Amino acid sequence: MSSQTDDRSAQEKALAVERDVGNFSYETSYDFDAGKGLSERTIDYICDVKGEPDWMREFRKKALKVFNDKPMPSSWASPDLANIDFDRISYYMAKGRPSRSWDEVPDEVKKTFERLGVPEKERAFLAGVEAQFDSESSYSSMKEELAKQGVIFVSSSEGLMKHPEIFRQWFGKVIPIGDNKFSALNSAVFSGGSFIYIPKGVKLKQPLQAYFRINAEEMGQFERTLIIADEGAEMMYMEGCTAPQYETSALHSAVVELVALKGAKIQYVTVQNWSASVFNLVTKRGLALEDAEIRWIDCNIGSRLTMKYPAVVLRGERARGEVLSIALAHDGQHQDTGSKMIHAADNTSSNIVSKSISIGKGRATYRGMVQMPRHLKNCKNNTECDALLINTNSRTDTYPAIVVRGEGNSVQHEASVSKVSEEQIFYMQQRGIPEAEAMSLAVNGFVNDLVREFPMEYSVELRRLIDLEMEGSVG
Amino acid sequence: MSLNINNLSVSIAERQILKDFNLSVSRGEVHAIMGPNGTGKSTLAKALAAHPDYTVTGGTALLDGAEIIGLEPDAVARLGLFMAFQYPVEIPGVSIANFIRAALTARLKESGGDFSATAYYKALYAQMDALKIPREFTSRSVNVGFSGGEKKRCDILQMAMLKPSYAILDETDSGLDIDALRIVADGVNHMRGPGTGFVIITHYQRLLNYIKPDYVHVMYGGRIVKSGGAELALELEEKGYGWVEKEFGVLV
Amino acid sequence: MTDTFYMTEALSICSDAAFEAHLGSLKDMPSWLLDIKREAWARYKALPEPRRKDEQWRFASTDGLSLDPYSYRVPSADPQECARPLLECGGCLDFADDAYIGGRPLYEEAAARGVIFLPLDRALREHPELVRRHLFERMPDLGSEKYQALHVAMFTTGVFLHVPRGVQVELPLAGLHEAVSEGASVFPHTLVVAEEGASVTMFDVFRSREAAARHFACAAADICALPGANIRYRMVQAWSRSSLAFHMNSASAERSSSVDAITINVGAAHVRSEQHGRIVGRGGNVQMHSLTLATGTQEVDQRTLQTHDAGDGHSNLLYKNVLLDKAHTIFSGLIRVAENAQRTDAYQTNRNLLLSPEAEADSLPGLEILANDVKCSHGASTGQLDKEQLYYMLARGLHRSTAQQLMVFGFFEEVLEKFGNEQLAQYVRDLLQESFNAHELLNNSPDAT
Repeated sequence: MSSQTDDRSAQEKALAVERDVGNFSYETSYDFDAGKGLSERTIDYICDVKGEPDWMREFRKKALKVFNDKPMPSSWASPDLANIDFDRISYYMAKGRPSRSWDEVPDEVKKTFERLGVPEKERAFLAGVEAQFDSESSYSSMKEELAKQGVIFVSSSEGLMKHPEIFRQWFGKVIPIGDNKFSALNSAVFSGGSFIYIPKGVKLKQPLQAYFRINAEEMGQFERTLIIADEGAEMMYMEGCTAPQYETSALHSAVVELVALKGAKIQYVTVQNWSASVFNLVTKRGLALEDAEIRWIDCNIGSRLTMKYPAVVLRGERARGEVLSIALAHDGQHQDTGSKMIHAADNTSSNIVSKSISIGKGRATYRGMVQMPRHLKNCKNNTECDALLINTNSRTDTYPAIVVRGEGNSVQHEASVSKVSEEQIFYMQQRGIPEAEAMSLAVNGFVNDLVREFPMEYSVELRRLIDLEMEGSVG
Repeated sequence: MSLNINNLSVSIAERQILKDFNLSVSRGEVHAIMGPNGTGKSTLAKALAAHPDYTVTGGTALLDGAEIIGLEPDAVARLGLFMAFQYPVEIPGVSIANFIRAALTARLKESGGDFSATAYYKALYAQMDALKIPREFTSRSVNVGFSGGEKKRCDILQMAMLKPSYAILDETDSGLDIDALRIVADGVNHMRGPGTGFVIITHYQRLLNYIKPDYVHVMYGGRIVKSGGAELALELEEKGYGWVEKEFGVLV
Repeated sequence: MTDTFYMTEALSICSDAAFEAHLGSLKDMPSWLLDIKREAWARYKALPEPRRKDEQWRFASTDGLSLDPYSYRVPSADPQECARPLLECGGCLDFADDAYIGGRPLYEEAAARGVIFLPLDRALREHPELVRRHLFERMPDLGSEKYQALHVAMFTTGVFLHVPRGVQVELPLAGLHEAVSEGASVFPHTLVVAEEGASVTMFDVFRSREAAARHFACAAADICALPGANIRYRMVQAWSRSSLAFHMNSASAERSSSVDAITINVGAAHVRSEQHGRIVGRGGNVQMHSLTLATGTQEVDQRTLQTHDAGDGHSNLLYKNVLLDKAHTIFSGLIRVAENAQRTDAYQTNRNLLLSPEAEADSLPGLEILANDVKCSHGASTGQLDKEQLYYMLARGLHRSTAQQLMVFGFFEEVLEKFGNEQLAQYVRDLLQESFNAHELLNNSPDAT
């Protein structure tokens, strides 16, 4: 009861502050809106609304300074980044989304939901018609089960407020504020995302899904997720979905930190299908201690520019890291994805498999970093990246960086670029399969070994999505 | 109901291979086409199956009355023409089960029919058992890592599942040991009946010991130079292709 | 070295005085060349020093690039002794501190067919228009613009080889570029042009006459195969182990022509080795192979580019590095296929053999593909000698050190056998052996257990 009162007074105070400034308008459909542009005032606003402790306010302000001081990556990154207008972005909106009716959802989107087989009850939420996904019924039994095992699965804000001792120990430790310009931005204005703690030895059989407790805030642009698997714990987390996300915001910049303590296993599965106007700039990194294992399984579709290089820091002996990634770039899209494997203990091993498909004038880029420093022994990395180019003007790039020192360390990197073989297409056509469908089959075949690593419901949707994306790409 | 090929002329990269080729195959018949290497046997198969490298410069091919020249390869296939490849292609990542199912679905889409997954697998397993293809092959990628014999059996499996009205076997026997040859022949014999016409292209008489043809044609210089019954194959085996060249070389 | 007729005052390499002295020493050079040189000097001074954060200098220790220890002396041809002939060849040009000191004239048969094989300064005087047509036409686009400008401003001579249309030069031709005086700077330039349908083989050896001397080399080689021509170019870099060297090479293949280039790196404390292969005409073919044995604290910074600007082209790159002690190699390679360059085949492979825990091998194998009907791949691997193979040899009674050396030479052999000249291959084997002996691989062996 008292915390509610606190909340209310905090928000009244914040609103009063904002009224004094009086230089921006509210969207009536949001309960809280920090307005456009970014300054210390924005951060105070966010902290006040959320009632965050002082250390977090300081953390955010420090991050803002780093963000402002850090130049945009220019020597290697896409020049398109310069087109982000930070002054025109709303950094915080919570509780409530623009009220739309199902009728207002474009037919195209509705049709896609249908063809992807998105369950009826999820469609309205995904289309932005409902602010809350009605999942209580399916979730409540699971929640009870989780609670029994001592699992914490809450929003990052709730994690900060209710579990400060675990939260603060790891928050910002895997990805420090200054890691890059966008991790600094996220650190300054984050809201939403999940906080998960799996106690020692607990092995979850069911994957945890962001779906289950998502609301407008969690769908936000600056999600922050922190997952800690304690010694011997095992878990899988799934985020995103194959449905096009009905978004109007131009910039998404999430930060995800994973901590796998001794012998723990974390699998983090992402499927994202952004609308074609979105900049999706994400920092994801896991810390794997002794005998721990972290796997990033990642599928990127859509967006104007995605920059995402999931990383594993192999801090403990015999730790294992893996990144499996699929990227599909259509006309006007640039998927700039890859992986980083930072070996920091003996006998660690890592594996990267990346497959990209460029359609039309789409551009898929692989960027990688594998590092084995001098004091290490017997580390191994294997990297494979394969690119498939569908049309004559499709583009792909590969830019790996490999640094090897030390004793008994070895790295293998192989990359190839190809198009769909005409003989394959003819063979399938001879069996009566139309050319476009043959093309889809070949493309699905190309990514098949990775798609099967995704949980069943995702892999089925993924295949359908690839079919959809392939439509119209042939003659 | 027949496949009628009239005055078909075909070239690859400006070089003419088939010249005014004529052949009529009725459903229920088995025709063998024999001849020395480079005489246009495979060209005939590829041209009918609308391979993009082959240009038809003249003539027609009517499949049960419908012109197939000029159609896309998949359209020809859906009309009922099946080609067993001399060198079946590897398709990584596409499982046999999904592949054959996609091919069947493409046909059903046109006829508006449907089939259940259970019925499909039942039919698939039955055919696989008949061809001695182990069950676990269903989840393997089409032809990837298969031995020569396994690839050919995979092709015959597809034929059995797709039930074409005309099937052309393009040197399916090449590179097969005797056991694989027998399995392939059994597959064909099993399908023999009033519904399907076969064209068996082969260099050797060997396969014809297992599949008895109704007609044997000798091809030379891009056309058929001699036709006869099953005994013609034996005659060829005995006299060799040098005999054909000597006898018909002047005509070409 | 005794003083000579020419002014040989040692000047700071980066000073205007050095440049003016250089210009003043050039005799009877065409005015267009002097203009190019003045412009290049201005560019050299204006361009910033490379920084490690520049993408094209990633992982390089750019602070090792100071030119302070080196001086410039106006080249003088007299009275330095002529080096002993290195190879049997159809002609050899010998240089010491950027002065032509003799060699062996081009063999009669080739000379009679119009082949020109001259020191570059003489070619500039005798065939100015022919040289002008190709000189500096294509410099590598790999990040060393500043040093290219320095090279253009300060070069005096080098090899000029021109093979007329349809002429096949049967015997290999050679250039021996030596640095002699302590602290000397040299700027050798090699320009090889094979006209339509011509064919030729050229060897360049770059070395310090005294192993103890310290030199700065800023060299460039430009290999141009016109339509249907065929050039084999082999270069050996064996500067003294305290030297700083830049080798900025370009190999371009026009329609249906081929360039087969091999680079050997055994010398220098720090070498920047750039190799830009260009497919400029349909069906062009460029082969780029390299061997490096890096020991001590050597840094070998290799940057390569394979650009396909025309279709049906083929390029193949194989860079093999063996690292001992605290050596550092950087391989940064890029294949760039332009939008219209359909039916391109382009391959790139980097193999690093790490024989010491203190050594560092960096690999940046890149692809930029804008056409879809291509076969492109790259592979990079870094590892140790195969334990099973090593064991097999030990089990046959070989000493560990012998077995290791055998395996390393085996690793190199793939490139050595592409030389097509056993004498040069043997010369390189000897250099590699010297390097091995000097650095006692056997004692430093990481797994001597």
